[in-house]
Amino acid sequence: MQGAGVAGGTRDTPRMIDPIEQFHIHKLFTIGHIGNQEIAFTNSSAYMFGSVALISLLMIGVSTRLVPGRMQSIAEISYEFVANTIRSNAGKEGMKFFPLVFSLFMFVAVSNIVGVIPYNFTVASHLIVTAALAVLVFLTVLIYGFYKNGLKFFKLFVPSGIPIYILPLVVFIEVFSFFLRPISHSVRLFANMLAGHIALAVFASFIPLLAGLGFLGYFGAVLPLGMVIALSALELLVAFLQAYVFTILTVIYLNDAIHPGH
Amino acid sequence: MALGFRLSSELIAGVIVGALIGWGIDHVASTSPWGLIVMVLLGFTAGVVNVIRSANAAADKSGR
Repeated sequence: MQGAGVAGGTRDTPRMIDPIEQFHIHKLFTIGHIGNQEIAFTNSSAYMFGSVALISLLMIGVSTRLVPGRMQSIAEISYEFVANTIRSNAGKEGMKFFPLVFSLFMFVAVSNIVGVIPYNFTVASHLIVTAALAVLVFLTVLIYGFYKNGLKFFKLFVPSGIPIYILPLVVFIEVFSFFLRPISHSVRLFANMLAGHIALAVFASFIPLLAGLGFLGYFGAVLPLGMVIALSALELLVAFLQAYVFTILTVIYLNDAIHPGH
Repeated sequence: MALGFRLSSELIAGVIVGALIGWGIDHVASTSPWGLIVMVLLGFTAGVVNVIRSANAAADKSGR
């Protein structure tokens, strides 16, 4: 993870184009201290609050007419989308996790889409944010799995029909792959957002570099400009797609807690 | 494309986490390089298990 520090005082020197400058965390104001650790309200926190405010506006603020308007359609479609994902992957019992899954989906989707807009900060481009979300899911699966199934939850690690002499190895691999989940779950979202935004910034930085070359450079600069436009469209797709992938994996993991033993 | 990303990250996470755990074991128990070798292979196996599982889940969904 880069950029926990504040951008240093190199403002006066001619600026290099820095593709990871967009991920820097700035302190906006200090909330308080825990011990010697300063608890700061950063630009990342501001964008998180902004995303939640947007979601609240969308979900609470819409009218409830029989013939929906645009905003109400978005709200209804996102509800149906998440509900169908849960029903088809975890069955009817999965719907008790609807609030969790819906919150996760809306938070990731909205904060990603906000991040595609130029000059905005992408919350999910920091591993700690996606890791926190993935660990939340992981602990929910663990706690609910043991709460609902008791010790039968361990059946998840013991596939049926395995000869006894390789069973210890298989169980070890199953446990290992279980603990891999929060890592691949979080790194996937983080790496996609990070890589996409760095690619955008790199191509965008070619535009002023080429345009600075003179008359021919103006024509050359059209190429990266077109690339940036195409990449922005792709990023919009990736922003939504990664939110969907995060959601569907959450549901698949929750399904293991609801119905262990495959 | 989303599926490809999903499967590849599944595999990569397995190998990397295996390597990290193995390296940690070596560091603590000074058994270098055996912890690394064993855990990378196990991580690779677990990664393949995860890949097969999510590929099967995807196939199930599209078949339904």
